[in-house]
Amino acid sequence: MAIIEVAHLTKVYGQQVACRDICLSVEEGQIFGFLGPNGAGKSTLVKMLVGLVYPTAGTALVAGYAPTDTRSRRQIGFLPENFRLHGWLKGSELVNFHARLAGLDYRSAKRSSQAALELVGLAKEGEKLVANYSKGMQQRLGLAAALVGDPRVVFLDEPTSALDPLGRREVREILLSLKAAGKTVFLNSHLLSEVEQVCDRVSIINRGLVVADGKPHELQAASTAVAIKLSGLPVLLAVELQRDYPRLQIEGDLLTLRAQSPEDTADVVAKLAAQGCRIYEVTPHHNSLEDVYVHLMQEGEKTCG
Amino acid sequence: MWLMAVFTFKEAMRKRVVLVAVLLTLAFLILYGTGLHFTLGMDVRIADPAAANVFKLLEALTMFSMGIYLASFLVAGLAILAAVGSIAGEIENGTLYPLAARPLTRRDLLLGKYFGLAAMLVTYSALFFLALVGLVYWQTGLLLPGRWVALALFALKPLVLLSVTMLGTTKLPTLGNGVLAFGLYALSVLGGMIEQIGVMLGSTAAVYIGVVTSLILPADAVYRRVVATVVDSLAQGTSPDMVFFNPAHVLGPFGSHSTPSDWMLLYTAGYIVVMLIVAVRVFNRRDV
Repeated sequence: MAIIEVAHLTKVYGQQVACRDICLSVEEGQIFGFLGPNGAGKSTLVKMLVGLVYPTAGTALVAGYAPTDTRSRRQIGFLPENFRLHGWLKGSELVNFHARLAGLDYRSAKRSSQAALELVGLAKEGEKLVANYSKGMQQRLGLAAALVGDPRVVFLDEPTSALDPLGRREVREILLSLKAAGKTVFLNSHLLSEVEQVCDRVSIINRGLVVADGKPHELQAASTAVAIKLSGLPVLLAVELQRDYPRLQIEGDLLTLRAQSPEDTADVVAKLAAQGCRIYEVTPHHNSLEDVYVHLMQEGEKTCG
Repeated sequence: MWLMAVFTFKEAMRKRVVLVAVLLTLAFLILYGTGLHFTLGMDVRIADPAAANVFKLLEALTMFSMGIYLASFLVAGLAILAAVGSIAGEIENGTLYPLAARPLTRRDLLLGKYFGLAAMLVTYSALFFLALVGLVYWQTGLLLPGRWVALALFALKPLVLLSVTMLGTTKLPTLGNGVLAFGLYALSVLGGMIEQIGVMLGSTAAVYIGVVTSLILPADAVYRRVVATVVDSLAQGTSPDMVFFNPAHVLGPFGSHSTPSDWMLLYTAGYIVVMLIVAVRVFNRRDV
């Protein structure tokens, strides 16, 4: 069941298009990664999904309600990017206040905020003033405030940007524990390795447009490079292949094909064999999500259906 | 909304602006009390005991009005500074994002902030007013009549400024809002002063200028009503002694020669409500 439905969502600020015709759907219980370079429109989309920014066009539903509806907000947690917390509060007071705003009564809020502080590793720091927290601690505290009140969907906008590698690993573990508890996580990030490790599905946005969408391994497989070591390639066949596959490279006895699908590889190998080429090796090169991302950023854009 | 109000009240009480205001107020009260002691303690010889009594009363009234006039500047400053960035400033520094995404309507968020700040300002104004009344009583033995109504009106003034500043912060950046709010307040004070001088000199045009500025921002009108409340009550309470002087005239442009009517008070209440309604509408439409 989709818990986040976005249809043709567009946001324009004056002449600047922040998001253009974005369509996506996130299933409940998934960790969904939303990738893109700085300024691509990631934060704008998240702000529209939590009701902070009004779309110019299109619709969105979160947990069955419009993002501005308090019934939707009751079911979400949100860690914004570039946020600041109220420095005059103690850490425990801040998380407790968010728990109360989330609708919990005094006792439940106390319990829930304590549990959230423990989850992010700040249980012993709760009595300190937020103003005295380091940047990394503030990010953890923001995460605790987002998780308090048992939300069904958690929107995290660059949740590890201020954390050291150990902190990042801990956040990844928290994300996986949320998934195990059946929560949906919408993770905005430009840290590809992080997304690759935890996300069930990924969308990539560039200049306001979604340019790719799917499971990480599908995206990686979709543009797999294959190296074919061969001999006896006829000139006419080489010309024909380069015409049919613009991203095919031939260097001596090595042919490299960036295939759009596994069928492309099979077709090329069949043609080579049919023309009497001797094929010694067919080696697929597995792309990382980073390769896919860089390739897509260079490749251009495609609109959603 | 009330959670937000309590939060805002606590925040306001812990902010430096309130600490600075409290310290300034203490300094003001010490200076004011010292001034009262030395000016009212002067040995002025008037042969007629009734006239001497009236002189003492008017002296006390003048010092009280001056105190209230200057106190209202401090209260106004605190009202504007406390609210000037309460929406726009929090968007600029990023503290509003996590709050605005909570199951809280924009209306509740804004009104919560308004009521939280209003509670702080009413507390501050009331304590300030009572301190002034207490100092006057200590130095003159005069327990000002009409003080409770005057106190309520004195506490109303910052609420007017607060409502305008809250509207401003839903649309304007912090600095721009501060300039606008202080500018409007200066206009209101100037208009009020011109109106009082207009009454004394019999200039209808000057009076109209004051009326128009009071309609734009009825802050000074509320101050005039505070003074009028005390002066009128004083005249009623000591009417046999007041046959020689009209206390309002003694106070000059700091007095209330043209007393704002009950309709003006009603307008002021309506003004606050309208400012808040418009503020909620503007905030409802803006991106955070």
